[in-house]
Amino acid sequence: MEANQILFIAIALLTVLSAAMVAFSNKLIHSAFALLATFTGFAMLYVYLSADFLAVTQIVVYVGGILILILFGVLMTHKIYSTTKKTAHNSLIVSLLGGILSAGLILFIISKAPWAPLLAKGFNPTTAIIGKEILTGYLLPFEIISVLLLGALIGAIYIARAEDK
Amino acid sequence: MSNLNSIQYFIPELFLTAAILVLIIVDLVLKDRKGHIIAYLTAASAIIAGILAYQQFNLPAASLFQGMIVVDSFAIFFKILAAFSTAIIVFISLDSFGDKAEYNILLLIVTLGMFLMPAVNDILMIIIAMEIVGLMSYVLAGFHKKDLKSTEAALKYMIYGAASTGIMAFGFSLIYGLTGHTNLYDIQTALVNGHANPVAMFVAFMMILGGLGYKIAMVPFHFWVPDVYEGAPTPVTAFLSVGPKAAGFALFIRFLVTVIAHPTYGSFGSFTQNVQIQAPLLLAVLAVLTMTLGNFSALNQKNIKRMLGYSAIAHVGYMVMALVVLNNDAFGAVMFYMIVYLFMNFGAFWVVESFASKLGGEEIENYKGLGYRDPFTAVSMAIFMFSLTGLPPFAGFIGKVYLFSAVIKQGWYILALIGVLNSVVSLFYYLSVVKSMFLRQEDENVPIQSSLYHKVLVVIFVVPTLLLGVYWQPIINFTTHSIGIFFGK
Repeated sequence: MEANQILFIAIALLTVLSAAMVAFSNKLIHSAFALLATFTGFAMLYVYLSADFLAVTQIVVYVGGILILILFGVLMTHKIYSTTKKTAHNSLIVSLLGGILSAGLILFIISKAPWAPLLAKGFNPTTAIIGKEILTGYLLPFEIISVLLLGALIGAIYIARAEDK
Repeated sequence: MSNLNSIQYFIPELFLTAAILVLIIVDLVLKDRKGHIIAYLTAASAIIAGILAYQQFNLPAASLFQGMIVVDSFAIFFKILAAFSTAIIVFISLDSFGDKAEYNILLLIVTLGMFLMPAVNDILMIIIAMEIVGLMSYVLAGFHKKDLKSTEAALKYMIYGAASTGIMAFGFSLIYGLTGHTNLYDIQTALVNGHANPVAMFVAFMMILGGLGYKIAMVPFHFWVPDVYEGAPTPVTAFLSVGPKAAGFALFIRFLVTVIAHPTYGSFGSFTQNVQIQAPLLLAVLAVLTMTLGNFSALNQKNIKRMLGYSAIAHVGYMVMALVVLNNDAFGAVMFYMIVYLFMNFGAFWVVESFASKLGGEEIENYKGLGYRDPFTAVSMAIFMFSLTGLPPFAGFIGKVYLFSAVIKQGWYILALIGVLNSVVSLFYYLSVVKSMFLRQEDENVPIQSSLYHKVLVVIFVVPTLLLGVYWQPIINFTTHSIGIFFGK
């Protein structure tokens, strides 16, 4: 086995195992910290797909921003350590069957389907290309998202704001 | 078309965006003196945007912004419908939210999303347009912040919405993997010319149905409907049951005729599947489940909003039933039904909204003796109920005739039969409201005074419900002219 294959398996294991911990852990704080490893694992997988810009964005936005927010939320919540057993555990057999079935289906698809041919591309920087595409081919989505964010902002302020006395 | 040239075809959307920004500033300037000004401005902007969209109706169809969206008569039809339903909702909610600027601005942003949804031509735009509508709807559903049910509705709506969008995005990633394109027309070409694996295609279709089915409230993605419809403020419920649903159907149809099927060569108005995956059969099964579950759950509802919520699921079932045959007849029937449904459903919800405080609640029990206390409203409500059932001579009957005839023409007799039987079931619960209003009464009937505003709005909904039941030709002509779906990049 080559070195980069071993590295890939290590990254995949890190991502999947920490994701499992996020889902199965009964303590919120454990889940939050496990999420850190999951997000970082994702960033590393993006590097494998030679998406350098995406990898850095993943770390800056998810690890640096969203995760810290979650941790702050955990920090500010009263008696967070004593809250346990909030995770609902469904019937093991049913969940296991459902999980194995969907995993099998996806595995079957991945192995059987003739996928569109991969573009032959090396490890080149993508930032400049992304910048150019955003202002040419993807101009409309880029601009429309700003309206979406404006609406999200108004909505969030309305929901979170204290009522007038 | 290049970005710069596209702007001249993008005027309705640009106008809406400008209106949103202007309204925010107007709200800041007016501070507390605003009254209902913002609401009137919102309705006016929606109507103007609709008129601007209508002006593009006869332009040659084209794709804009390098294939991101298209402008064709099909999209313009749904844009007009969206603008109209927003304007109506502003008037329905004038009493409850007329002075709330945020509410009206969010409504306009949803309208922008509903303008984009029928026009999408790229996977990326599908997700963005659906999220604009979705995110704003979550806030609108929870607009009564202090009402526990409203908050619960918003939270449930959001969690289901996030999950279904995630599943849909996964489905799209499979499609992208199979074809290597994000543009819907490119995907169609690649699927027609290539040899995509049917199993992969079928699974991708199911996953994408998770997102689209959620938007139009189709079984088995309907779990949010009863709670959200009951908990959300009544005007928002009315809006969700018509506006975003119509846009969802537009997106659904465009998805079906690009990713799932392509125009049959040499036969105008019919479509063939890109990859043989039995999509019609799957849709038929889901349609039967949707209408049956909707109708049977509505049977023993006590709350009228919840009842209308379940009946809305049933109506989605009838419309999905028509989509099964994948031809222009069916699309025209769905578009016509959407117009009819808009009037009768808004009418029913308007009576619920304006009479909730006068009757002391939203239970069907509260409507006891309304026929003697306010005959005008009660008779109108009865008309809406009969029309929703699909009884002649009301508009709902004509709508259903077109839906069923589209299905029967293609030989899906059993499907049509199940649909008719379902309509019979729905008669029971719609009539229970009528029965409560006319056949039962209190010991003494205190007359209810309703305002002129209430009466005028009721008339606006009743007249089309009656008129379209006897004279519908102009509308059918309009919908037939509106099925010009553009294929291209």
